[in-house]
Amino acid sequence: MDDDRDPEKLTDMASQTTDAPAQTAPPPGRGDVAIRTSGLCKRYGATVAIADLDLEIARGEVYGYLGPNGAGKTTTIRLLLGLHRPSAGRAELFGVDAWREPVAAHRRVAYVAGEPFLWPSLTGAETLELLASVRGGVDVAYRKTLLERFQLDTDKKVRALSKGNRQKVQLVAALSSRADLLLLDEPTAGLDPLMEVAFRESVREASERGQTVFLSSHILSEVEALCDRVGILKQGRLVDQGTLAQLRHLSAQTVEVTFAGEAPTLPELSGVEVQRAGANSLRLEVTGPIAPVITALDGLPVLELTSREPSLEEVFLHHYDGTGSDG
Amino acid sequence: MASATVAAPASASPGLALLRRAFGDARTRTLSFLALFFLYAWMQAVGYRDAYPTLAARLDFARSFAGNDALRLFYGYPYNPVDVGGYCAWRVGGVLAIVAGAYGLLGAVRALRAEEEAGRLELVLAGTIGRQRAYLASLGAVGAGIVLLWLAETLGLLAGGLPLGGSAYLALATVSVAAVFAGVGALVSQLAPTRRLALEISSGVLVLCLLLRAIADASHSLDWLRWATPLGWAEQLRPFTGQQPAALVALAACSAVLVAIAGRLARSRDLGSGLLPARDTAAPRTRLLGSTLAHAVREERTSLAIWVLGAGGYGLVLGLVSSSISSAGISPAMRRELKLLGSGSITTPRGYLSLIFIFFVLTVSLFACAQVAAAHREESEQRLDTLLSLPVGRSRWLAERLALACGGAVLIALASGAMTWLGAAWEGVPVTLMQMLEAGANCLPAGLLFLGLAALAYALLPRASGALAYGLVTVAFLWELLGSVVRAPSWLLKLTPFAHIGFVPERPFQLGAALVMLGGGLAGALAAVVLLRRRDIGGG
Repeated sequence: MDDDRDPEKLTDMASQTTDAPAQTAPPPGRGDVAIRTSGLCKRYGATVAIADLDLEIARGEVYGYLGPNGAGKTTTIRLLLGLHRPSAGRAELFGVDAWREPVAAHRRVAYVAGEPFLWPSLTGAETLELLASVRGGVDVAYRKTLLERFQLDTDKKVRALSKGNRQKVQLVAALSSRADLLLLDEPTAGLDPLMEVAFRESVREASERGQTVFLSSHILSEVEALCDRVGILKQGRLVDQGTLAQLRHLSAQTVEVTFAGEAPTLPELSGVEVQRAGANSLRLEVTGPIAPVITALDGLPVLELTSREPSLEEVFLHHYDGTGSDG
Repeated sequence: MASATVAAPASASPGLALLRRAFGDARTRTLSFLALFFLYAWMQAVGYRDAYPTLAARLDFARSFAGNDALRLFYGYPYNPVDVGGYCAWRVGGVLAIVAGAYGLLGAVRALRAEEEAGRLELVLAGTIGRQRAYLASLGAVGAGIVLLWLAETLGLLAGGLPLGGSAYLALATVSVAAVFAGVGALVSQLAPTRRLALEISSGVLVLCLLLRAIADASHSLDWLRWATPLGWAEQLRPFTGQQPAALVALAACSAVLVAIAGRLARSRDLGSGLLPARDTAAPRTRLLGSTLAHAVREERTSLAIWVLGAGGYGLVLGLVSSSISSAGISPAMRRELKLLGSGSITTPRGYLSLIFIFFVLTVSLFACAQVAAAHREESEQRLDTLLSLPVGRSRWLAERLALACGGAVLIALASGAMTWLGAAWEGVPVTLMQMLEAGANCLPAGLLFLGLAALAYALLPRASGALAYGLVTVAFLWELLGSVVRAPSWLLKLTPFAHIGFVPERPFQLGAALVMLGGGLAGALAAVVLLRRRDIGGG
């Protein structure tokens, strides 16, 4: 049955912390995995929204889930929450099947929806109160800190709040729950840059406390700043996954060389793609070792040489510009 | 490719495009109302002619009912119940005018306030269309629907064998009420900041207008009150019986004034707000926030209070006028006829009250549909995702909503009984409080059956569930009213749950039928609670 409630509903809401949900302790050996999906598929009629998704996210990880609009990020989260039924495969949160036992799974999860729809007639404070008491506990002291950090006027009714402010209500509710796993669906859409800073601070705090964060986003700088590991979703498929260092390694390093006078023609080098970047400069995309490039440039009139790692944006675009379609 | 960037707009006029969209948006409702208007008009005309073929039979009928104040509460005043036209003016005009009023206000609130609340109007007004034209275009869609209703009723009456002129005039009398209430809906849409509040206020106005008409029709000293309600003006048009088109002026003027005032307000206020003072900030009140059930009570309590007050108020009036019922004018033949119809003895106050409680069965059933629709809105407006991401099971959530609906239904049923008793006792009618509470409770089996069926529709076909639930209740009720009039075979008549309700307290409580209905409702609700586990929630 999905409708058993936690019999030990806490009345003292201030005292609850998230580290001891004893009654839902995962079986030994599986406790290190917060999210696991295997062969997860979701079709809506003829449309394939998610195809054969295998994710494994360890406890304490901050995982960035990247993809443009319509790639299937929200569908993935709906499947993780057990709101939509998998067409094939399964999704587990802390070893608990998300579709079959959503209530048990949700005891350790807090969710921020991409579209902040809440009850228009409740104020922010009332909404927080409702969500906290239905959850069965909240860290009141931390909630106070968050309210100050996000500068939220909790006396305003939801119907009078802007999208960004409604988003803040959701964020405060989720973060103050101290849940083991935060499922955040594009949580900063609608937040201003100052609040983006507050958000990043809060995610770092959550990470330091050992909470797992699943951050769906298309804001690359945010993911780059926060996440230990990144998955890139394209048309419902995970096309790349790894730490930022790993992802960068797979992509080219960019070397730009400016010469005194017209740029010469370099000899053919394996793993190096040469493009003309102006009359006097070349851009080299280096996928292999850098040493042959240095050797080739030796003795040439080099004025300026810059080398940089690819940004996440370049990694991302690599998968989306059509050339790297098979990841 | 450059030449293709300036594509021709799909519609030359943005106003027309908006009108079309608003009209299309309401098409399911419009189609249901059209079917209702046509069928009801047609069946009443045919049924009356079949049931009372001779003048003698009609005179007998008229003697029995024309002098019967209490019947006028629902049908209005019969000016000439001895010919088909006059009968239809009374029965068709009297009932469909109320339905037309509901169509007008639902349509206007949907096209104006709901669009604004959802933020779509903002998008529209960011384009090249001005406020005034957008307002008129949205209302134009309601107007187009009203014209179609007029056609449907006219055609229904024509199909029933009535002359074209009289049919068109009677239909006009009916739908002019829709125009007035479209004006009411338009005005309230400017005042109330939310669709929900706008619907609650404008339905309140409709119920008040109906109460005024009921009092005017039933009481000889207060018949001037007929001039205080648009439903009374429609009666004053007197289709088929010494037509008085002058009342049309009142209807048209009232509608025009309301629409003009609302239009003026629509132009001059801030978009996205209402003119009623609405406080956007408040100190937190944490009562009824402790659980999902408590919160559902908090969200629904205003609406529930309106249902209870409306039903109770009507019950009070019914009780008061029931004392006027007497068997003096009713012939033995007509009494036999009534017995055949299974109505028991309508010729005593108690018999009348027993019979009339079928309208409270309808009320409770509609309330059940409204509660399931409210639950569905939690999902369609994506708040359910937020609730279900907490440790709350969806089965448990739906079960709680249904339990709340049950509780509300019990309150409405008992309030109807108690208030009817109060009115009746005031006038010295010999019924006891217990008897009338029993009559109220007797509304519950059918109401809860419809609650279970509506819940099942929601679990299986969420998007169609509103239309299915309201449609089922309406069809079942009309079949009860009309089936016997058109002399359908008895097995067909028995298909509607309304046919299986004992007219308590005049007739015995139908325990068997009540148990079957309760069982059906419970089965539907349980199936809904289980089946909701199997489908995707929201978004898809």
